[in-house]
Amino acid sequence: MDHSVYIPKLAKIIQVKEEVGGARAIKTFRTVFANGQGFDHRCGQCAMLSVFGKGESMISISSSPLVKDYLQFSILKMGRVTTALHEMEVGDLIGIRGPYGNGFPIDDWKGKNLLFIGGGIGLAPIWSVLQTALTRKEEYGNLTLIYGARTSKDIVFKEELADLKKKMTVFLSIDVAEPDWEEFVGFVPQNVSDKKPGPANTIAITCGPPIMIKFVIKALKDLSFEDEQIYTTVENKMKCGIGKCGRCNIGLHYVCKDGPVYSWAELKKLPQEY
Amino acid sequence: MEKILEKRSLQSWMKKLDSWTIYAPRKDGSERWNYGIAQNDSVGLNFTVTTLPAKALVFPQREVFLEFLKTVEESQETLKVNEVIPGKNPVVIFGVRPCDARAVSLLDRVFSGDFVDPYYWARRKQTVLVGLACDTPPWENCFCLSTEGSPHSEEGLDVLLTDLGDKYFVKTLTENGEKLVNLAKGLFKEPRLEDKKKAKAVHAEAEKKIVRRVKRAKKDLAAKLKGLFDSPLWDDESMSCIRCGICTYLCPSCHCFDINDEVDSVSPLRGKRVRTWDNCQFPDFTMHSSGHNPRPDKASRLRQRLFHKFQYFVEIYDKTMCTGCGRCISLCPVGIDIINVLDKVSDHGS
Amino acid sequence: MAKIEDLKEEARKLLREGKIKYVIGYAAGTNGWMASPIFIKKPEDVEKLVWDPTCVHNLSRFLVDEKRRKEREKQPDKRPVGIFVKGCDSRAIVVLLQEKFIDRNDVYILGISCEKGGVVDEHKLARKLEGKKPKKIELGDKGQLVVTTANRKAEFPVEELLAERCLECRANFPVISDIMSGEKIKRTVEKPFGSVEKMERMPKEERWRFWKEQLDKCIRCYACRSVCPMCYCDECVVDSINLAVSADTTAEEKADKVKWIQRSAESSENFVYHFVRAIHLAGRCIDCGECERACPLDIPVRFLNKKLEREAKELFGYEVGFDPAQPSLVSSFRDDDPEDFIR
Repeated sequence: MDHSVYIPKLAKIIQVKEEVGGARAIKTFRTVFANGQGFDHRCGQCAMLSVFGKGESMISISSSPLVKDYLQFSILKMGRVTTALHEMEVGDLIGIRGPYGNGFPIDDWKGKNLLFIGGGIGLAPIWSVLQTALTRKEEYGNLTLIYGARTSKDIVFKEELADLKKKMTVFLSIDVAEPDWEEFVGFVPQNVSDKKPGPANTIAITCGPPIMIKFVIKALKDLSFEDEQIYTTVENKMKCGIGKCGRCNIGLHYVCKDGPVYSWAELKKLPQEY
Repeated sequence: MEKILEKRSLQSWMKKLDSWTIYAPRKDGSERWNYGIAQNDSVGLNFTVTTLPAKALVFPQREVFLEFLKTVEESQETLKVNEVIPGKNPVVIFGVRPCDARAVSLLDRVFSGDFVDPYYWARRKQTVLVGLACDTPPWENCFCLSTEGSPHSEEGLDVLLTDLGDKYFVKTLTENGEKLVNLAKGLFKEPRLEDKKKAKAVHAEAEKKIVRRVKRAKKDLAAKLKGLFDSPLWDDESMSCIRCGICTYLCPSCHCFDINDEVDSVSPLRGKRVRTWDNCQFPDFTMHSSGHNPRPDKASRLRQRLFHKFQYFVEIYDKTMCTGCGRCISLCPVGIDIINVLDKVSDHGS
Repeated sequence: MAKIEDLKEEARKLLREGKIKYVIGYAAGTNGWMASPIFIKKPEDVEKLVWDPTCVHNLSRFLVDEKRRKEREKQPDKRPVGIFVKGCDSRAIVVLLQEKFIDRNDVYILGISCEKGGVVDEHKLARKLEGKKPKKIELGDKGQLVVTTANRKAEFPVEELLAERCLECRANFPVISDIMSGEKIKRTVEKPFGSVEKMERMPKEERWRFWKEQLDKCIRCYACRSVCPMCYCDECVVDSINLAVSADTTAEEKADKVKWIQRSAESSENFVYHFVRAIHLAGRCIDCGECERACPLDIPVRFLNKKLEREAKELFGYEVGFDPAQPSLVSSFRDDDPEDFIR
């Protein structure tokens, strides 16, 4: 008999990088499966990470499916399990089961411009799409990233972003002015309105705090984006990851299984239970 | 096949089933019936209805998923994770009410699909359900006729018994059911024509005795509900809810669960990952780690319970996730009556 | 004899004048013979109110919800709510006032005296009627209970049908109210702790077996906690997450929340849950018995509370829920306290 759907595979942490310190710390982990028994994932899918003795937490996979050497997770310290993960070091073992969820329909986006809009830790779920599109640049149109955080210290993937600027258009922002900051000051939706990206042949992919998503969508609508051109991800409390435990549903959708990726056209039809 | 079993032979039948663990309803020190392992003493089926439905035996309140052990030897850490699938323990449950058996068949759907739940199926596949048709509604709030069921429904059962006074009319419904009967062949007689007629009459009579109905059912009700998501009705109807878990834990078809790690020892780290029942009426069910709660009040939680049963489930499985057993109505400490609430939904705007 | 016509008139008037937000009372249940709580907002609905020995619920539980609702609302309606209370229920309000959980201006108390009656015990009634369903239960002129079923009317002495807690009640009329119906008849109770004493006479081993068997039945639906007006904490050890968590709570604070009790409904966990519950009600429980009535598995949890009620009385001369000005048991110390460790 196959292993139970609830049994995680063991994985070793091979790299830990502190992205953001302080009370809302973010760390990026790279893991490899202990027995080489991995899985293939799609962009935007999630995995259930275990710290044995503490429990499980659903985390989006931030590495591209094209990267076969490791899985990457960027994790905001939030509760019991994520705090335990933050205490882990290279060489420690965690459990991983998945991949879960629908993922982004990137094959449908071939030949289109991709506009990524992220806030805070919200860059993690779209990072896998962004990296995949960048690797296969010839298959897509223009790539643009609009990303912001509260302060310059809260920006994740700092080195990667510096490198990214050489390959694609990147607009950064922070909420409040700082002495050495030369880019946009203000909230992410304001930066979107400021940069005025055009909707022609473009897909916008946005992820971040719910309040940011709400106003980003408003800004995009003002720029004449259609509902079908806007994609976002949703999160809810999850336990099983496979649409059975009954808590993450928005209407009849289980976010763990039928989500977390929704076009605004789909999401706006669902009740506001997230 | 159809057979006749004298009531006094019930005990002998059970004795023949010695390779099964037999559960039957019994009263343990209170006024309520519940399933217990049948002892050698006399077991009758003169019960009304068990407080805990048969679900509790195929989907127990606690299920160990895995055991973990972390050891350190010469600074070398090893982590062992063992899957714990329920072992071989064939079970026969005697005295399953038809509504509770139908509920098990709803659970079958939930625990199948893209992801098959091995713990549920390990128990389910070795459980045989011997039902007892209701000749009179076990309690005043039975409404199975409104939920695609009946007091003599066969769905989910392996054998259906119908009480004919001093004997049971026995109908086997599955291979497993036939196997049970064949193991005690000598005890069963061929039914006469009048036995068949009498069984039919008992069934018809029982249907007449069920007084409670919902005004709209299944798709009709689902469609009506869909338009009432944002209605103030939920606020009004949930005012008296005390957010306890009775209506869901004791529901034969509710199946929401939680998964937690239970630590037995910190050093070396040893423990278990367990599934336990959970329920949508507890505020922490949907509460994010951040403190944000998508279903922050009693109104949204009552709405979720009814929408899951009478709207979402109907759309996904084309079945109502309620078998009309009436437990949530009769056992609610504050008298919340879903028939009454559903009828208000039906009457809304008319 | 307590008739609620006066109280209904008062409720109607208060609603009409907009002096109260709504009235919490009892109405005929739709699910059987028992009354159910009802929340009345319109004067014309006051007609739905009933009063009979099936009005078992302690409605003061809903004052906890009302407080939470006001906290959630941006512009809360701060008018008082009208509430029907029996003697025991009124004592719950006294404790809520004493603990400053609510303010006296938050409630308009419509009191009813149980006089020689009280509320019926569902199981006692079921045994008496041998499975037949009651249609109506009333307190008769001679202090007897009159039960009407589909085909007959029977009379029973109150002792045979009343809930145990009513038979041990020491406040069968409201101790606090704005308007009251019925007479303040003090019923003599010979053994206010009779049921506890009976339990205590059980040999130790037998008592242990009894409680183990009872608590093993617990499915942790928390109905006993949820129905209790005193169990109003946001932070309860049995919840998977502290309900008082806010956006400012740090990850460490959340991670450090000790899991005293596992979610599994196992013996050890159930014992801890029930003992924690009982101890947190010491000097606070007013013996409305709702915890035991709500239990779907008939676990006699009231005994645990009753035992602690007696300890409070015998050790500290403390009686719960008679005086809102009295300091609460666990926050008070008297110079003549027999324990000297604190001095």
